[in-house]
Amino acid sequence: MVQLRPRASRVPPSAMVDEGQPASEEEEEAEHGLLLGQPSSGAAAEPLEEDDEEGDDEEDDEAPEELTFASAQAEAREEERRVRESVRRDKTLLKEKRKRREELFIEQKKRKLLPDNILEKLTTAGQTNIKKSSGKLKEANLQKENEDCDKGSDSKKAKVQKVQSVGQDKSYLALRLKGQDLRDSRQQAAEAFVQNSLYGPGTNRTTVNKFLSLEHKRLPVKKAAAQFLNNAWGTQKRQNAKRFKRRWMVRKMKTSKK
Amino acid sequence: MGEFKVHRVRFFNYVPSGIRCVAYNNQSNRLAVSRTDGTVEIYNLSANYFQEKFFPGHESRATEALCWAKGQRLFSGGLNGEIIEYDLQALNIKYAMDAFGGPIWSMAVSPCGSQLLVGCEDGSVKLFQITPDKIQFERNFDRQKSRILSLSWHPSGTHIAAGSIDYISVFDVKSGSAVHKMLVDRQYMGVSKRKCIIWGVAFLSDGTVISVDSAGKVQFWDSATGTLVKNHLIANADVQSIAVSDQEDSFVVGTAEGTVFHFQLVSVTSNSSEKQWVRTKPFQHHTHDVRAVAHSPTALISGGTDTHLVIRPLMEKVEVKNYDAALRKITFPHRRLISCSKKRHLLLFQFAHHLELWRLGSTVATGKNGDTLPLSKDADHLLHLKTKGPENIICSCISPCGSWIAYSTTSRFFLYRLNYEHDNISLQRVSKMPAFLRSALQILFSEDSTKLFVASNQGSLHIIRLLEGSFKHLHTFQPQSGTVESMCLLAVSPDGNWLAASGTSAGVHVYNIKHLKLHCTVPAYNFPVTALAIAPNTNNLVIAHSDQQVFEYSIPEKQYTEWSRTIQKQGFHYLWLQRDTPITHISFHPKRPMHILLHDAYMFCIIDKSLPLPNDKTLLYNPLPPTNESDVIRRRTAHAFKISKIYKPLLFMDLLDERTLVAVERPLDDIIAQLPPPIKKKKFGT
Repeated sequence: MVQLRPRASRVPPSAMVDEGQPASEEEEEAEHGLLLGQPSSGAAAEPLEEDDEEGDDEEDDEAPEELTFASAQAEAREEERRVRESVRRDKTLLKEKRKRREELFIEQKKRKLLPDNILEKLTTAGQTNIKKSSGKLKEANLQKENEDCDKGSDSKKAKVQKVQSVGQDKSYLALRLKGQDLRDSRQQAAEAFVQNSLYGPGTNRTTVNKFLSLEHKRLPVKKAAAQFLNNAWGTQKRQNAKRFKRRWMVRKMKTSKK
Repeated sequence: MGEFKVHRVRFFNYVPSGIRCVAYNNQSNRLAVSRTDGTVEIYNLSANYFQEKFFPGHESRATEALCWAKGQRLFSGGLNGEIIEYDLQALNIKYAMDAFGGPIWSMAVSPCGSQLLVGCEDGSVKLFQITPDKIQFERNFDRQKSRILSLSWHPSGTHIAAGSIDYISVFDVKSGSAVHKMLVDRQYMGVSKRKCIIWGVAFLSDGTVISVDSAGKVQFWDSATGTLVKNHLIANADVQSIAVSDQEDSFVVGTAEGTVFHFQLVSVTSNSSEKQWVRTKPFQHHTHDVRAVAHSPTALISGGTDTHLVIRPLMEKVEVKNYDAALRKITFPHRRLISCSKKRHLLLFQFAHHLELWRLGSTVATGKNGDTLPLSKDADHLLHLKTKGPENIICSCISPCGSWIAYSTTSRFFLYRLNYEHDNISLQRVSKMPAFLRSALQILFSEDSTKLFVASNQGSLHIIRLLEGSFKHLHTFQPQSGTVESMCLLAVSPDGNWLAASGTSAGVHVYNIKHLKLHCTVPAYNFPVTALAIAPNTNNLVIAHSDQQVFEYSIPEKQYTEWSRTIQKQGFHYLWLQRDTPITHISFHPKRPMHILLHDAYMFCIIDKSLPLPNDKTLLYNPLPPTNESDVIRRRTAHAFKISKIYKPLLFMDLLDERTLVAVERPLDDIIAQLPPPIKKKKFGT
């Protein structure tokens, strides 16, 4: 077991009183910690200014410093006030920062939204043909539809929205883009499922002409197969044969002329 | 009758889209059929199975479920995730509400008719309340792991069976939680790698849940204990649809091989009270997957990928055993998709997303009766006009002079001007068409091509005057009594004075174009009109109805003609009335006022009003008598209806000039050759 040197748990009070205010603050804090840490001093004591020699010397001589309750209270209150103020300052700083960011976002959103007059016209479902603002709408999704659609509930947040169309004067329909890809892919997946389960591997399917050919074979008066000629078969071979025939004819003509 | 050169046209590449869902409405005896391109058609089963209304399709609208709610309201749900309600009066979409669950796979209306249940891709079952003008989301049931492919209500409305992939859940409606989860074997007594997809469920009132799945099984489950009761393996391929009758004593299932099976609840022995479900009848009327079946009180209805709609009346349920109990197969459209310009010999074909303009070939050869003449000039594909946008084309027309083409989709109306220089053709679009012209149900040009008549789905008729490169709106006839009744057919007289419009329930209206007012109204008949035409000089309006009655009404005299009264008194020949397909076009000979030419899908007929009418005993379909037959036989068999069945199936037939006819045929094999692949069937000896 290591014998630890007793720490300089006590800073001589004279030293404390004489020094300047900031120093005294520090040391008051240190004393504060010191006072607290008094019963549990040892290896786990707070790090303090180590004045080994002095500590050794003054341990015996000095009596513990006496502080009035009032001064201690004042100090504590000072401290609390300081802490509070710093917290408040931090909070306000944070608030300002957040506000600035929000404003920035709102401005960005506004820039991306359609101009106000167009939104108004859309919401009131005007009959007139509205001029598109350039570059704001994705043209790929504008289509002419004849279906009544409900207006999107959150008009501010959506980039573009489904609009209520009244009467016969509908020239375009705005669609919400978010979720459209998901819907399309789901529909495609569903169609692929049906196709796979009915016509995919493992099903016992045959082509129509084979089916009809079998039927013709079973008729009381037997008929030929449904598609006897497969015109797509051996196209390359047929082309080669044609070319060869032409060349052979030419050669034959030449030799016969001679 | 005369001799005609007939242009036999087979280059109209018409392929209808497959049937995806079928829904039967008991109160009005109507059938709603939805196809894979998004079209929804309404057939009136009591009016001789005539297609009276339709909603044009849309590329993104792939309907997966269709159902009727209380009060004749039609709802559909599709893979775009939206629930759509259709307005049957105005023939447009009332609204489309997103269910926010991803693609919708199934939909079911509660037995009381006020709640709507929707099964979605993400495994959630959503309950909607049907309010008088809209639907409102109520709540979600417990979310399941995989997509909900089929739904069925218990007749009391307390429980729901939902079929998913590899399992069936039974929910309690009040709490919304799953009461039972029944796991389905992937293969009948075996193991398979492919997942078992429950294509259809049905909930009976005694608590039995019937499920049909992709392994070819029909299984009966007990919903109280959640256990399998009975297992029927009926096919090697998927069983894709199920429909239960109202009395719950029979149900019908459709398989991917094209077979439709009928199951019935029969007693075990002849006098015991115990009953069991027995597979009674197989029907093979389809070649491809049967994706939708319905069970009406007297008939089994099935439709699938091979585009036929088959209605099979059940013999034990039919009271009177007459021709009504025969099988009905609806293959060809009930409206005209082809228009013709007589002066320039042009044909305009209407497809779902484009129009094609063809010029007929010509020949200089002559021959005898029955000869095929060689073409000196082939038929020419002049124009392929694609429509912009995802919507289907509703109707189209070409003017008789061939210089104007007009067509309409749900949201726009297009008018084009054609210019012919030597052999070239140039197209110019007339811009800024007025908005009230869109969603037109019928477009017609006047004989001199100066006026355009448009019947809109709001019930109003618009008259537009066509000028060189532009147009002027002349007049609009508003619907009469404030009710909106669409499905108009139009006919204009060749002298340009009269316009006839059908579709209003009050009968056929005839308007005077010169004075722009209503002239008279033909009295209403309880079957819908299938074709209208006005004769050249006599201005007789000939109307054909869906029950194969033909009326002739004289417009100047405002009454039925003598001939019409005679034939109504005598009645048509019974074979004439037993024809399956409606008459879609009527035309006249310019020089012979006593002849009316009409056709349906399997015959064309020239009615000669000067000859005597046939009674039930005479032969209706008499072949052309050879000239060396005796006069007596010819006199005995001569009657007014000269019917020929040489050209079939006919989509369009018209008289081009005095000696030329054009017949557009569409052989069934050519349609079948372009359908998706069917299931392979192993047959003995092949």
